[in-house]
Amino acid sequence: MSGVGPAESDPDALLQVRDLCKYFDNDSGLLGSVGLDDEFPYVTRSSSNVRAVDGVSFDIKEGETLGLVGESGCGKSTLARTVLRLLEPTSGSVYFQGEDLASLSGEPLRRMRKDMQMIFQDPQSSLDPRMKVGPIVEEPMQAHGMLDEEGREARAKELLEKVGLDPQHYNRYPHAFSGGQRQRVNLARALSVNPDFIVCDEPVSALDVSIQAQVLNTMEELQEEFDLTYLFIAHDLSVIRHISDRVAVMYLGNIVELADKEELFENPRHPYTRALLDAIPVPDPRSGGRDELLSGDVPSPIDPPSGCRFRTRCPKLIQPEAYDMTDETWRNVVRFQRAVKRRAFEETDPDALRGRYFDDGVPSGDAGTLLDEALGHIQRDEWDDAEAILTERFADESVCATAKPAYEVESALTDGRHYAACHLRRDEAVASAVDESALDGAARLGTPEADD
Amino acid sequence: MTEPLLSVRDLKTQFFTEDGTVRAVDGISFDVYEGEIVGLVGESGAGKSVATSSILRLVDSPGEIVGGEIEFKGETIFGLEEDGAGELRPRDEMLTESEMRKRIRGREIAIIFQDPMESLNPVFTVGGQLREFIEINRDLDPDEAREEAIDMLREVGIPAPESRYDEYPHQFSGGMRQRVLIAMALACQPDLIIADEPTTALDVTVEGEILEMVTDLQEKYDTSFIWVTHDMSVVAEICDRVNVMYLGEIIEQAEVDDLFYDTKHPYTSALLDSMPRPDKTVDELRPIEGVMPEAINPPSGCRFHSRCPEAREVCREVHPDLRDLSDEGAATHTGACVKHDAFDVGYDDSPAIETQTGSGFSAGLTETGGEAE
Repeated sequence: MSGVGPAESDPDALLQVRDLCKYFDNDSGLLGSVGLDDEFPYVTRSSSNVRAVDGVSFDIKEGETLGLVGESGCGKSTLARTVLRLLEPTSGSVYFQGEDLASLSGEPLRRMRKDMQMIFQDPQSSLDPRMKVGPIVEEPMQAHGMLDEEGREARAKELLEKVGLDPQHYNRYPHAFSGGQRQRVNLARALSVNPDFIVCDEPVSALDVSIQAQVLNTMEELQEEFDLTYLFIAHDLSVIRHISDRVAVMYLGNIVELADKEELFENPRHPYTRALLDAIPVPDPRSGGRDELLSGDVPSPIDPPSGCRFRTRCPKLIQPEAYDMTDETWRNVVRFQRAVKRRAFEETDPDALRGRYFDDGVPSGDAGTLLDEALGHIQRDEWDDAEAILTERFADESVCATAKPAYEVESALTDGRHYAACHLRRDEAVASAVDESALDGAARLGTPEADD
Repeated sequence: MTEPLLSVRDLKTQFFTEDGTVRAVDGISFDVYEGEIVGLVGESGAGKSVATSSILRLVDSPGEIVGGEIEFKGETIFGLEEDGAGELRPRDEMLTESEMRKRIRGREIAIIFQDPMESLNPVFTVGGQLREFIEINRDLDPDEAREEAIDMLREVGIPAPESRYDEYPHQFSGGMRQRVLIAMALACQPDLIIADEPTTALDVTVEGEILEMVTDLQEKYDTSFIWVTHDMSVVAEICDRVNVMYLGEIIEQAEVDDLFYDTKHPYTSALLDSMPRPDKTVDELRPIEGVMPEAINPPSGCRFHSRCPEAREVCREVHPDLRDLSDEGAATHTGACVKHDAFDVGYDDSPAIETQTGSGFSAGLTETGGEAE
């Protein structure tokens, strides 16, 4: 279920994903990767990969719903497509009912598809506007050679009724249906080949709230009746909280936290999950404001931050061992470093900046010297130098930058396992998959290109 | 409170299509006072966007504002009167099209749309578009306008505004583009900003940032907002007063706390019950049955009766108007549901009607497949 500890086989697991990676080549075309240089040999070839999914592991048990949540661009949809082998994985494996999908191809893979189906976000564009609803639902059965023509028609009508449509709609075209009804047609089509596993990629996010609830309820009823297993992708945490049994939180190609639903929502152990939960507006005017919002943009997946990928935005970045600052002072340093990186202010006077960013304490010792140096650069308008000092000597020396976190902690509210990829959990972890040598070398310099 | 900044009375906007007249906005009235954020919520097809376009007189053929009054700071944006022959014609004091264009839109009332990419021209730089807007609307020379544009970009939290000034819209992320539009809306310091689902297309984290920023800027500039949304959570977070729309009508008006804690209309309650919650686990969602009927041929009586769990025979016959249902001394809270005593049309003695639970899905079949909005 998580990347921690031995990947022992869970007998109940319908799907096991192990260390799955999917990189996209950023340079398409013949000359895409060719760059010009002003030195011999004048022409260079470079290639950069978009690391959309980078080392993801989890299990899905039979009959459960795993919710997958994250901001747009974090790799949710790519993960779903790679799991279904609609995209070829770069590395890693996906075991479905014991068979490794990543190694299958051709006819055996096509036959496996009967057991795994997908529902897409836009109900409009996932239905052929020139086909009637009946044939749309029958098509997968035909492709897999199920039943004869009459049998297929009977089954299509039965399924239409099951998903809450009128069987008499068999002869209508998709345009005659509303958004919620189209999504029901998609459900019927996915169910037609009697699959065990359905990947739902944002199935209700295009629908109105009242319709959303209808479709969610139907999906739950169908799950019970047909014993389905769902991988449910959404960016809406309320929907995830309603439908999931377990929830995985994704950030920039990695799963940062995975736990039972109640545990994850009530006892989040990763700062990113906490930030996400904090950011959602609650439909209650008395709920009060939010604590602290995430700032900054999601970094590029072409060159993601080293160590923990969330560290460039994390409000709880850990202080490097080399320094001995108070928590407030360290927060100030981090805040100042990020402000310089974003060029968020115009002020160049060191004293004014000290007053603005370090009003409750200027770091002393080595840290103080470094800060003075950075402030000096800013005064001389040398922003890049200031940024380099602050980034390399502070942010990149944190353990968050030098070691990739992977811990399993005790669940406080349920008996399920709780995976949290955050170094803050180092002391309470029951299992860890972190390279200890990397932790010992926490004080060493980060690689120069891994700035934030 | 003093005079309202904007006052809308009995506004009616209709679309004349081949299939019949779509009564997209059918007699809505509301006020916006200085410095407040007024919510306009409803599902798609409720007529929210048509209502806001009508306020700016941006409704295009086949649509037409057919009745009502819109007053803004004492000026008449829209108003009709009968001439000698009994025909309706615009009143003399109604602002002309060129006055609307030169004085009102952008300068006095600005609008922010849902999709920031469609509101920005992809072939001009972001800074250039902002500068041009400031130059024209505030009569500044290009250099001053540029300074002002950069200041506005910094104000809305765009990092390194001097260098990003020369970038094109595609180089901005969705949240950044929406910030640019907010900068553009604020640039002329309008008295009223209409925000039409500005955060719907954004991620929750970005949405949070934008909502926070709007609240801050609103305090700083004391701008009034009309916030159009379908999301009750956003309403709860930022609005002062709320208008709930259903099928072209406002069915409940209240201060935000009263709307959530003393809900008067069954539609509002149903909307709140059908939402999954982020802060607690809801075992069972109670969806509203069926779909919103077409605005071409709305149900008789109360328009919500066909989906209402509390509907009785009388709801089919009596069309409820908005009436004040608040307790004495409390803030105004109006609702349009005959179950309240203020109506006295015999709701309590009327037999309950079967809502179309079974045929809800088929009843929603539309011939056009499109939405009224």
